[in-house]
Amino acid sequence: MSKFTAQLVDDYADKLLIGLTREENASVLNEFDIIEANMNKINDIAGLSSVEPMTHPFEIEFELREDLPDESDSIEQLLQNCEKKEGREVEVPKVVGE
Amino acid sequence: MKTVLELRELLDTNQVTSQALVDEALVLAHQNQEKCNSFVTILDDAKGNHEKKSLLSGIPYVIKDNFSTTGILSTGSSNTLKNYIPFFNATVIEKLKEAGAVPIAKSTMDEFGMGGTGTTGHTGIVKNPWDPSRMTAGSSAGSAACVAAGVVPFALGTDTGDSIRKPAAFCGIVGYKPTYGLISRYGLFPFASSLDHVGVLTRSVEDACATIDVMKGMDERDQTSLDSSTMHLLDSLTGDIKGKKLFYIKNLLELDAYEKVSDSLKSTFAQFESTLDLLRNAGAIVEGIEFDMVLLNAIPTTYVCISCAEATSNLSNMTGFSFGSRGEGSTYIESMKNHRTLGFSPLIKRRFVIGSYVLQKENQEKFFLNAQRVRRLVVDKMNELFKHYDAMIMPCSEGVATKLEQAGNMLQNDLLEVLENHMVIGNFGGFPSITIPNGMIEELPIGVNITGKVLDDENILNIAYTLEAKMSYKNQIAKEVN
Repeated sequence: MSKFTAQLVDDYADKLLIGLTREENASVLNEFDIIEANMNKINDIAGLSSVEPMTHPFEIEFELREDLPDESDSIEQLLQNCEKKEGREVEVPKVVGE
Repeated sequence: MKTVLELRELLDTNQVTSQALVDEALVLAHQNQEKCNSFVTILDDAKGNHEKKSLLSGIPYVIKDNFSTTGILSTGSSNTLKNYIPFFNATVIEKLKEAGAVPIAKSTMDEFGMGGTGTTGHTGIVKNPWDPSRMTAGSSAGSAACVAAGVVPFALGTDTGDSIRKPAAFCGIVGYKPTYGLISRYGLFPFASSLDHVGVLTRSVEDACATIDVMKGMDERDQTSLDSSTMHLLDSLTGDIKGKKLFYIKNLLELDAYEKVSDSLKSTFAQFESTLDLLRNAGAIVEGIEFDMVLLNAIPTTYVCISCAEATSNLSNMTGFSFGSRGEGSTYIESMKNHRTLGFSPLIKRRFVIGSYVLQKENQEKFFLNAQRVRRLVVDKMNELFKHYDAMIMPCSEGVATKLEQAGNMLQNDLLEVLENHMVIGNFGGFPSITIPNGMIEELPIGVNITGKVLDDENILNIAYTLEAKMSYKNQIAKEVN
């Protein structure tokens, strides 16, 4: 029997501020079972825990650029795709409680 | 529509004008839109460019809708960005602009690149120009469909798993993903940053070289971009591959290994064998090697764990506040949740939940970090093989594009899933990788893929170029068969 439940899936979705329909939830549950089964096989690979996790396709030497002042984007540009704004500010629902 | 190099010749000898090419491309784009739904936006006011600055000057092309384009709708094929208009160009768009190429449309894709079917974009599914009842594959679905239909000679694509190379195969064209970092990702909507590549879809290997020659280069706004100034892709093509050594993964190409053997799988393998003969006749050495089955079987899940985790993080800025469509709600949490719940498609939501799960503190070691460890083992194995071989050659899929009603993005648990997804190895290691047409099965195209070691792009392109010359699919335009 699967260790995953619809409630668990909803909890993870909720952490991302995403709501799932019943069908979407069922679809995730099914895929979790496949991932879990495959990862269990992967975890049996000898010496896996001593392998350095790979975060990038190959080693790259990063060079920091000179720390020089630069023109920033204008507030008008940054706000041009904002649906609700007031002057030069983004309008948001009340954040602080009563 | 001819190839880039053919059009260059016509433009240089005044047999055609750039405006005429652009006008023709726009007419074809509207026809293609009716049939395949390749585009989110068609730029009807596009103007020809008559000043010659490069090989690409005056030539029309198409941009995948996940590149930022100044003043042009850029949606990533997502409802969350259905009205988003950037105020800057991605670096690659700026380079093409400086080279004088003319964008005529932005193409439909799987939402934010997260899909392999071309069916999850917010403006509807993309249909295969060879057979509209079939998928193109994705995520660069519209780019593949419009190049295959002859609307333009080249289109931009992006590739995180096989998103350029698989649709190229199913549409009978060329799809090239250069070495990771060869092209700047600045201004590209990110999916999984450690796997995302920019590339191109064309109808010839020469065109793939000519276009990437223009697009590549270091960019101070992308720390992962590489210096490739000594690399000249088009000029390096020789058509000589005598003595080159290629390998294929034998244990993925044995019919006995599969539970169900379809006629399509048999035909794919038979056609692949014929292609190997062509390489051998050209003087190349081709050998089968055994790849650790445990690692091979781990590839699809490894990809899902890494890509979903990175996507979950990359797209956490989709709140609907400072950009994107604002969600309803009396609190900011409600508003954000509505924006994300109603804006993202079911597939994306599924991937985010998986990403969230594998990133949880209690699950990270078993899922995310172990996936990253498997990635290293696979890449190390490939790099070991590349010490002895110039490239890997493999079929792109088990057969032709599936019917749309069978197109799914669910992870399966069998060897066919590995065969279908093996090209992600190219993303794990940042390896240059190109798909070219490899003939037909029941009048529908299939592809063959060539992958090489990092920064050895010239070598794999030359192998592809030599093979292309021995087949009859160069500049192939889709002919509707059903």
